[in-house]
Amino acid sequence: MPVRNNKVFMACLYILVFFLLAEWLTPVVVLTNTGHRPLFLIFIAVALLMAFLKVPWWISGTVKILYILWFIVYVYTGAVFFTGESLSFLWEDSRQNFQALASQNWAQTTDVFRTLLFFTLLWMAVYLIHYWVNYRLSIFLFYLLTVVFIAVLDTFSPYAGNTAIIRIMVIGLLLAGLLHLARWTESHRIVLQMEKLAVFIVPLFAMIAASAAMALYLPKADPVWPDPVPFITSLSGQGGSGDGSGTASVGRIGYGVDDTQLGGSFIGDSTPVFRAEVESGQYWKIESKDTYTTKGWISAGNVGESIVYSNGQTVNTGFSPGTPEEAETALLAMDQDFPFVLYPYGTESFVTEQPLNYQYNTAIQRFETFRGGEVVEPDVYEVTFSEPSYSLTALRNTTMEDLARLPAEFDRYRQLPAELPQRVRDLAEEITESSTSVYDKTRAIESYFSNNGFEYSNTDIPVPAENQDYVDQFLFETKRGYCDNYSTSMVVLLRAIDIPARWVKGFNQGEELNTNDGLTVYQVTNNNAHSWVEAYMPGVGWMLFEPTIGFTGSASVDFDLEIDPTEPADSEMPDSPQPEMQEETEGDSTAAGQSGPSPGERVLLFIKENLGKLIWSLIGVGTLILLLYRYRQKWMPKLLIPYYRIRGGGSSSFEKAYLRLLKQLDLYGIRRAEGQTLRSYASYVDSFFGTKDMSRLTTAYEQALYGGEAENVKWVELQESWENLINLTSG
Amino acid sequence: MEAKDQLNKVIDNIEKVIIGKRDIAELSIVAMLSQGHVLLEDVPGVGKTMLVRALAKSVGADFKRIQFTPDLLPSDVIGISIYNPKDMEFHFRPGPIMGNIVLADEINRTSPKTQSSLLEAMEEASVTIDGVTMQIPQPFFVMATQNPIEYEGTYPLPEAQLDRFLLKVKMGYPTPKEEMEVLARVQAVAPIEELQSVIELEELIKLQQQVKTVKVDETIRNYIVELARKTRTDSYVYLGVSPRGSIALMRACQSYALLKGRDFVTPDDVQYLAKFVFGHRIMLRSEARYDGITAEEITARILAKTRVPVQRLVGQ
Repeated sequence: MPVRNNKVFMACLYILVFFLLAEWLTPVVVLTNTGHRPLFLIFIAVALLMAFLKVPWWISGTVKILYILWFIVYVYTGAVFFTGESLSFLWEDSRQNFQALASQNWAQTTDVFRTLLFFTLLWMAVYLIHYWVNYRLSIFLFYLLTVVFIAVLDTFSPYAGNTAIIRIMVIGLLLAGLLHLARWTESHRIVLQMEKLAVFIVPLFAMIAASAAMALYLPKADPVWPDPVPFITSLSGQGGSGDGSGTASVGRIGYGVDDTQLGGSFIGDSTPVFRAEVESGQYWKIESKDTYTTKGWISAGNVGESIVYSNGQTVNTGFSPGTPEEAETALLAMDQDFPFVLYPYGTESFVTEQPLNYQYNTAIQRFETFRGGEVVEPDVYEVTFSEPSYSLTALRNTTMEDLARLPAEFDRYRQLPAELPQRVRDLAEEITESSTSVYDKTRAIESYFSNNGFEYSNTDIPVPAENQDYVDQFLFETKRGYCDNYSTSMVVLLRAIDIPARWVKGFNQGEELNTNDGLTVYQVTNNNAHSWVEAYMPGVGWMLFEPTIGFTGSASVDFDLEIDPTEPADSEMPDSPQPEMQEETEGDSTAAGQSGPSPGERVLLFIKENLGKLIWSLIGVGTLILLLYRYRQKWMPKLLIPYYRIRGGGSSSFEKAYLRLLKQLDLYGIRRAEGQTLRSYASYVDSFFGTKDMSRLTTAYEQALYGGEAENVKWVELQESWENLINLTSG
Repeated sequence: MEAKDQLNKVIDNIEKVIIGKRDIAELSIVAMLSQGHVLLEDVPGVGKTMLVRALAKSVGADFKRIQFTPDLLPSDVIGISIYNPKDMEFHFRPGPIMGNIVLADEINRTSPKTQSSLLEAMEEASVTIDGVTMQIPQPFFVMATQNPIEYEGTYPLPEAQLDRFLLKVKMGYPTPKEEMEVLARVQAVAPIEELQSVIELEELIKLQQQVKTVKVDETIRNYIVELARKTRTDSYVYLGVSPRGSIALMRACQSYALLKGRDFVTPDDVQYLAKFVFGHRIMLRSEARYDGITAEEITARILAKTRVPVQRLVGQ
């Protein structure tokens, strides 16, 4: 009995396959925010089980289709069983999708359709892997793909595959080991009973377990090679210089005052700024700016008023605090001193040991600290605040008409430079076309960045050229950048459709250090310098928005009751890119670099600067070539067959084709000994494949070569035999 | 009629008498077509004589037999001039060598003098007595047998003379099944008596000419030379294959190709015939005998190590 008929053995394989497929599903579900993971897993399990039990295709197909339909009904209507209502839902939905497809109106297809597609994909994946395991007894390709898939996601997406990669290694090695054993016994026609199989399987398990455990617990050295990711991402983006101008400059991250010239790359700086002891991480606001200059931000002068608050006095930040029950206190200990205080959303009062005056500037919403008329930089202070909450109903009721009735003091939050390209305005219209309320339009702009090919990066970001708009460059040319790009763009887009908005600077929550007594200590460094957006909802007030990708929190808001916009952003994955800056562009921007060194020197300089990248790409290309060479047996036939078809007849074609076939057979593993004649080799090949093609070809070849009667060979008649063998050897 | 069919008819005919020795019959035909001679090495009673007689009858040839004994003289082989007192002249009485197909039985039992007279006749296809050269009628084919060297009372053939045989073949015992078949056939009547000729002598001579037209590609010639050269450099070999051996191999291959219905020689022909052509032409050092290595094994080893030509020579 061959191994593949051994039920226990095969069951083990299918269980391992299930876990491997689950590893595929997990990141997809996490990244696309898809729910109901267990139900998808059940689908995979059922499909694999039926494949394992060799259920006839019409039964298994029916079961799977029924399951998919049930899933749709259950998830979209909530009905546990097929009721008349749910069936009419299915009918209605499929009609709608069919119409959308027929009219090629892809955007009109519903979520149900996408769910269906996802299931189809899972179905195909299960079928394929079943085929590989059951018929080919080989998993390597799929295994490799899984590792690459998870590694790429781990590197380039917020998904953290730290433990997934270990699980995959273990599952994959087990599968590969078991399948190798199966192939080995079959190729040697060895029949093993379960106990004999165990002799091989138990050491395999033990060895993999031991090596995995060792790998897990041994100390890990830091990487020897520089991180190649920034290099790879810079290749895929259009960083560098937009329009051949706007030389990239490099700054250092941190809070700065001057925002007149945004853009350029920056490097990280983990110098501590302050520590915050607070229940949950907050966005710490410093100030906002209102005037966009096509290059950056300035503050309009001579507007607003200054209000002075004393220690512990209730302040008015324009954000009404949430309920008193939720009020909490944060303790900030500064490492760097600023002549102002940082404050979270919903701030009620500030307290320091030594009394201070807090002068609040309504134009820029900054609390400057004074004592007795002199500027002071407080070391430690306490902020009492309660996170604001918004009624979704009220937000949904905001209309564009309300905006028109806003007083003139909001005009500066709708300011836009006259030079702003029209296409930016058009884009704003296009994004918000389908939304009605002000809130929905704002959300539409906020989420626009996360699914239109934008990517987060702090390297290789250009500074806009002389006559180039910073937002326009980001939205239409580079599509890569950091928080300044996203927040500025969102403000400009909002203003383009007359929604008042302002650009806010501060720090994000920072890194958790430790937790005690319900309070968490967050370390905020220069890396946490951040910028975001506040927009005005008529009738509701100012509200925080977070367009920067990597800070995706606000997307998963529960739309049911009341919404707290700060919370999602704060509680999101602590591992997400910790960006941000606001750089003092003290970097080596070197203005332009036009009147530069000679071409030769530039090449040398380029090589010197990019030595790491060059080495990496050389290694990459080398590996690729090696792989192509190693697996030439697999892909070359695909080229050979059309090549010799096009080449057509002629005896020289035949002789070349025959010699090519010999090489191909050699690669396939059927070696011809040095002293073996073609005739005996041919009969071996034919007995191996169960064909007569090789003998047929060899007779003709002998006649051509030894008989010198090449012209009598009819290549056209032999071509079929030849292609048949080439195909057999590439399988 | 195709050469292949004609030759197969002969072989089929021989097979009526000699059971299970088709390969030996084929090799005999190969030697005959190449105008060469065969040395059969085997113990008595395995059907050597029967084979030759069957072959002779099948081609309608004149069959002669010489039993070699220690006291046989050259004149007993090639013939003698006898003085006739009536006309006072010497008359030539041809010896048994003057036949188409000659069986020289137990050739290593006679003295070297007699052996060499036979071998000279074989090589020249003529005999010279008292200054008169007489052609031996064509086709002329000698099948000599010899007992394995280890037997007592033999005169081993010198190397130079072994070279004159195109092939050396071992006949071997029949399998039990074949032997039973042999018994069944001879029970009633000796089948050899009923054998008819299936081909004319003239046709045989024509086939001998046709052999020379079988194509030997340059790659094959190269291959043969390569094989011969390797026998000369092998560490176990004292004397390797001479150029005459190379020629013999090529000729034999041509005949074999014709027999198989081809008009060109393939490496398979070379590989098949090499051990029969080279076997008696390779003189081994005594180390080989200690190590139990035979000339056939050396040939096989060289065949395995020599690259078979599978594509045109460069520049062709």
